[in-house]
Amino acid sequence: MLSMADGSNTLFFLALGLYIAAMVGAFFRMAFTQADGEGRLVATPAARVAGRAATGLAVAGAAVHLASVVSRGVASGRVPWANMYEYSSVMALIAVVGGLVFVQRRWGHGHLMGFVLAAAVVMMAAGAMLWVPAGPTVPALESYWLKIHVTAMVSASAVFILAAVATGLYLARDTAERRLAVRSGRHYGPGSVGAASVDVAAPEQPGATIASPLELRRVVSPLWFVAVPTAFFAVWGLLKYDPVRAASMAPVGALLGVAAWYALPHLPAAAELDTLSYRLTAFAMPIFTFAIICGAIWGEEAWGRYWGWDPKETGSFFTWVLYAAYLHARATYGWRGRRAAWVGLGAFVALMVTYFAVNLVVVGLHSYAT
Amino acid sequence: MADTDTRVDTTPPPPSGWSRLPMIPGPWETLVIVWRRLRKMSTALVLLFCLAVATIVATFIPQEPLVPDTVASWRAGSAGPGATIAGILDGAGLFDVFASWWFATLTVLLLISLTGCLLPRYRAFWRTARREPAVGRNFERLGNHVQLRTDLPPDAALAGVDGVLARRRFRRRTVPADDAPSGRPQIAAERGHWREGGNLVFHTAIYVLLIGAAVSQLFGFTGQINVVEGSAFTDTRIVYGNVRAGRGFGVEDHRGFQVRMDDFAATYHGDGTPDDFVSTVSILEGGQVTAADQVIRPNHPLSVDGMKLYQLRFGMAPRVVVRAGDTVLYDDAVMMADNSGVWTGTAKIKTTEPDQIALDLALLPDFAVDAQGRPFSRSAEPDNPVLFADLWVGELGLNRPVDASRFLRDGEPVASATLLPGDTSDPLVGQELTVEFAELPMWSGLQVSYAPGHRILLAGAALLLVGLISSLYAYRRRVWAEAHVDADGVTTVTIAGVALQRKVVFADAFRALAEDVRSALPAPGDRAAEEVATDAQHG
Repeated sequence: MLSMADGSNTLFFLALGLYIAAMVGAFFRMAFTQADGEGRLVATPAARVAGRAATGLAVAGAAVHLASVVSRGVASGRVPWANMYEYSSVMALIAVVGGLVFVQRRWGHGHLMGFVLAAAVVMMAAGAMLWVPAGPTVPALESYWLKIHVTAMVSASAVFILAAVATGLYLARDTAERRLAVRSGRHYGPGSVGAASVDVAAPEQPGATIASPLELRRVVSPLWFVAVPTAFFAVWGLLKYDPVRAASMAPVGALLGVAAWYALPHLPAAAELDTLSYRLTAFAMPIFTFAIICGAIWGEEAWGRYWGWDPKETGSFFTWVLYAAYLHARATYGWRGRRAAWVGLGAFVALMVTYFAVNLVVVGLHSYAT
Repeated sequence: MADTDTRVDTTPPPPSGWSRLPMIPGPWETLVIVWRRLRKMSTALVLLFCLAVATIVATFIPQEPLVPDTVASWRAGSAGPGATIAGILDGAGLFDVFASWWFATLTVLLLISLTGCLLPRYRAFWRTARREPAVGRNFERLGNHVQLRTDLPPDAALAGVDGVLARRRFRRRTVPADDAPSGRPQIAAERGHWREGGNLVFHTAIYVLLIGAAVSQLFGFTGQINVVEGSAFTDTRIVYGNVRAGRGFGVEDHRGFQVRMDDFAATYHGDGTPDDFVSTVSILEGGQVTAADQVIRPNHPLSVDGMKLYQLRFGMAPRVVVRAGDTVLYDDAVMMADNSGVWTGTAKIKTTEPDQIALDLALLPDFAVDAQGRPFSRSAEPDNPVLFADLWVGELGLNRPVDASRFLRDGEPVASATLLPGDTSDPLVGQELTVEFAELPMWSGLQVSYAPGHRILLAGAALLLVGLISSLYAYRRRVWAEAHVDADGVTTVTIAGVALQRKVVFADAFRALAEDVRSALPAPGDRAAEEVATDAQHG
């Protein structure tokens, strides 16, 4: 049994390594994609190789990851998502598989995979810090509701991760598109996202050509793209760990920021990213609602009350309200587009705070980190 | 109506030099303004954000109903940001957000806003959902349209299309040639009212949930009780602690059944982590056992007479007998609390003055001595229990209305004893008191609840989910079909469709629909039904 648990740990780190390699491959694919004279993006042979390698590595990583999760379940004799390490791991796995199947294959947004993998890697790394040995869990968790409630919750969270990746990139791309539209004085139809939102009065120059997508990179400063994630990772490291680890985490943020800036021309159009994040959120929301309802039913069974404003319950209610606000905002004049996206991003932050902070910082009935 | 039409505006124009103060709205106008403002979606959004902020405050500031001790130490200033800030927080009701006046106000405002949003939508939905599918025009300008040719006469071809649409559960009507803009008979079909319907169900479910919560609050009951193995309690208000009873659940509503704690067992894994806590009880009514060997464990409550019994906590309860000479002063099980491995409790032996007597008790369930000679407990299981008793005699203030453990301790205990199960101490100081550690039963803490609103809540939750899913995934779409005989004598069927939401999904669905129609209509001559034009636009 012990060897099964050890094997699971090894596979976990192997999957993590494969994801990182796949992420690098996905970013290389982007770097090797060039813009032709008419503003179209053309993949060079090197880009095709890098893209294929990235997909292969990601699929292999997901397979290894799945093996890690399954062996963990066998080693502990229960569903392998009953503590934060396991939950983070499963969440990352579902995000990667969802990204591969839906975002890349079904919807054809392969350039987003680098960021999806980055999110999964960050999630797994955060989970690895909370590693605990495989074993049975406390009696309060021993219920079939563990399977239902937590499975629904982990699936919804994973899809919310994908939605957050799309939302964050949408905000970046939208900014760039608007600026480019304003600077090139081009007239676009009325709309609420990206270039479509800009209604420039100036007449079009006769014979004006379409700006190269590479221009998108020139209109926004990479400074913010580097500064914000770097600061985020540094503060996270300082608050949670120590200055040394903070110093090693900050460059990860910087790299991801640079990648996001570099990816601007390669990303789907702002309108597409907006639709993508809406679709993902709309998919996750009923699952999330179902998970909260199951949690209430389970709470009734285990603790004798369906809702007690326990910090975790409060946090998930808060998250639910924000996601509901996002769905409403997207249908409200004056809110759709950027404002709705900020609400969606806020909801994701709430989800993560509810997951990490409420488990680790605030003490409540749901503190199952260990 | 007629006289309103003839009414003339007789308000005189304001004379020059009239006060230029802005019009101050009267109470009625204010109400109307507030109501209009509340009906706006953007107001609802702002209120939702306020609700969200309130809940996040409640996540990070300790809440009195959950952690009263933490709140007490924040108030005293021994923890948290200090007594001054705690006072401010207290004033704003932040230690009990969900019971504060402003949270209630916020909820009421949201409900008014929700009602204001919903009422017109109910009305509109009622009208739209009953309306016949609208007549279509300019098919070739719609995003999705297709033309098929068939041997059937136009009427029969339209009947075929009607059949396909019926199978897809479209609501249909036949528009006679006179009413159709093209002058040809037409089938108009529509479905997807469940988008708005689901939306309304979802929002209505919020009321249902609130009603369920209110019913639970008003007619429900929750109480807690600790019972030692072998003893029993009767379901009456007076036996419970931490009672939360709704106004509609009176003292007379208790069922009066008896619960006897036959056995309690806590089991542990090898590494000391808990495995299971099981209470085995018998239910008695009128002195007769009506149900024996009933099990209560975590995640497995027991239902008795509509009330539910939950396993909440447990502990050691050593039975202690104190004698003065041959007179038994005290013979009872002392319920102990766990202080990280050491179980502690207090026994009031003699409360009459003077010379009150009390015992401070500590118990190590699995006694051992570490390398430094300090006693500790090897495990949580009572494999080698040792009881330490400190005897206090004098002015102990045992009759004050405070917790027994907080009696007055001046100086040192008059005597101490270390006892194994079955041991009786040597006669202790002066009074010839002896203390006996008779046996070591467990006590089990149960919660007893009555929650009448649960069915309503469950129904509300189900409605919420069903409404949410259909409001996100259902979509309104309209399909029209027309047929006419071409110059060559072959019937041409035109099908067109438009979706109000989820246009990409509809484009695929429309293609599948056209495919079904094609296979439902016999092709002209021996050729396959010929598609003249397809233009399914992604939008």
